[in-house]
Amino acid sequence: MGRRLKFNIFRYNPQDPDSVPHTDTFYLAETESMTLFIALTDIREEQDSSLQFDFCCRAGICGACAMMINGRPNLACKTLTKDLPDEITLMPLPIFKLIGDLSVDTGTWFREMNEKVESWVHTSKSFDPSADEERMDDAVAEEIYELERCIECGCCVAACGTANMRRDFVGAVAMNRIARFMLDPRDQRTEAEYFEIIGTDEGIFGCMGLLGCEDVCPKHLPLQDQLGILRRKMGWSAVKELFRFGK
Amino acid sequence: MAVDTTTYVPAPSRTSAYLDWLQMLTGAGLILFMWSHMILVASVIPTPRLMNAIAHFLEATYMAQVGGPIIACTFLLHFVLAARKVPFRVEQQSTIWKLSRQLRHTDTYLWLIQAVTAMVILIMGCIHMWTVLTDLPITAAKSAARIQGGFWLVFYLILLPMVELHVGIGFYRIAVKWGFARRKDRKSFKKLETYLTAIFVAIGLMALVRFLTLSV
Ligand code: HEM
Ligand code: SF4
Ligand code: SF4
Ligand code: FES
Repeated sequence: MGRRLKFNIFRYNPQDPDSVPHTDTFYLAETESMTLFIALTDIREEQDSSLQFDFCCRAGICGACAMMINGRPNLACKTLTKDLPDEITLMPLPIFKLIGDLSVDTGTWFREMNEKVESWVHTSKSFDPSADEERMDDAVAEEIYELERCIECGCCVAACGTANMRRDFVGAVAMNRIARFMLDPRDQRTEAEYFEIIGTDEGIFGCMGLLGCEDVCPKHLPLQDQLGILRRKMGWSAVKELFRFGK
Repeated sequence: MAVDTTTYVPAPSRTSAYLDWLQMLTGAGLILFMWSHMILVASVIPTPRLMNAIAHFLEATYMAQVGGPIIACTFLLHFVLAARKVPFRVEQQSTIWKLSRQLRHTDTYLWLIQAVTAMVILIMGCIHMWTVLTDLPITAAKSAARIQGGFWLVFYLILLPMVELHVGIGFYRIAVKWGFARRKDRKSFKKLETYLTAIFVAIGLMALVRFLTLSV
């Protein structure tokens, strides 16, 4: 313990016409089990009250605090300073709209993504609130839950070379979302309908397999596996169409 | 910046899927070709007579005369397909380089290597194919004479690692993209890729040394 940490923090307030993007340096004495959340709060309270950053749950559940930590996207609230070198550089996530300093608006992006992949169960059955809940196989429920754990933090999008180069690319998080609904027996969408959403160069065929997403996802979602499964499914779906004459 | 200013909806199309298949299949075909190619070249190591025999077989069966141009076409088709993914715009170039440096992420770097080696292979591969295919028959003596000239030695010393890097990474990438390598297999696949690349570069170098020391 007893390290003196040097923080290089990106500063820019798009609301303020006089603000220019730059880096501010802060020094802080490291304390026992200090997280970046604690460090940033300390800096804001003791050194610069104008510093902007987002936190909500402080427990790696809400996804609000994602930022570029020494170049890699991660959740600030679950990153311990003891795992980092003496010099820590913090930048906002790229791609998302900058609100100010380290704070970005992931909400708009994710809302649009969810609308694009129609992230809800499509069913023609009407909901009967008094009936028993429909039963689901345990194994299927587990599988769905595994993909449902995504907290929409945006790390996978920020780390994706394709998403950084091409703003129309939907990102691993969207593919994971689609994969989740494909597993769900309640969703009545057909393979062709899924293909229409994701079987494009903005979707699964745009993914170049760089696996930045897989390697940074703080919730360790099986993104690599889901991308592989999806590419194969969508690929076969297109090939099957090729051999279906005069449908 | 993308602003949706119209209610126009593009017709659903399967083109992306077919192009992705073709990119993968041409890539995989070229990998198989490069492995067969290595058998031909490496056959000079035990004895030039073996290489001559294989080359003679390839010509007697017209595999060289017909297969050569087919490979050249596959090569060009693969280039056109894969080039859809290469960042040709300056802004995209600087984005991907900056991101790779920031992330210090091996797989992102590997992709950059693939894109860079691709450009070198495009030019040098064409020159190589032209030289060999316009000067049939292939014989160990002619190859040795070329390499001992010096220019072609340097040429191959550059082309060899470029091709093997591209092939090795391409092999790994196909496995990952199409779900042959799952999360649990990724490490071992990467190791396999490294070994494959190293072994093929080693065999290639051995063949070059053999050509250099062959008396013509
Ligand atoms: C004209 C020269 C070439 C160019 C410009 C080129 C370009 C590329 C590029 C940019 C990629 C990455 C595409 C992506 O990530 O989506 C790629 C992938 C690949 N290349 Fe090449 N390449 C060339 C020649 C070759 C040769 C000679 C081979 C094999 C001997 C080869 C095998 C592969 C393989 C297996 C892949 C992976 C395919 C995939 O990811 O779907 N390429 N190529
Ligand atoms: S998939 Fe992972 S990295 Fe991506 S938004 Fe969800 S939790 Fe975050
Ligand atoms: S595998 Fe790579 S290209 Fe595909 S979504 Fe993940 S980071 Fe992006
Ligand atoms: S504050 Fe909720 S994930 Fe970090």
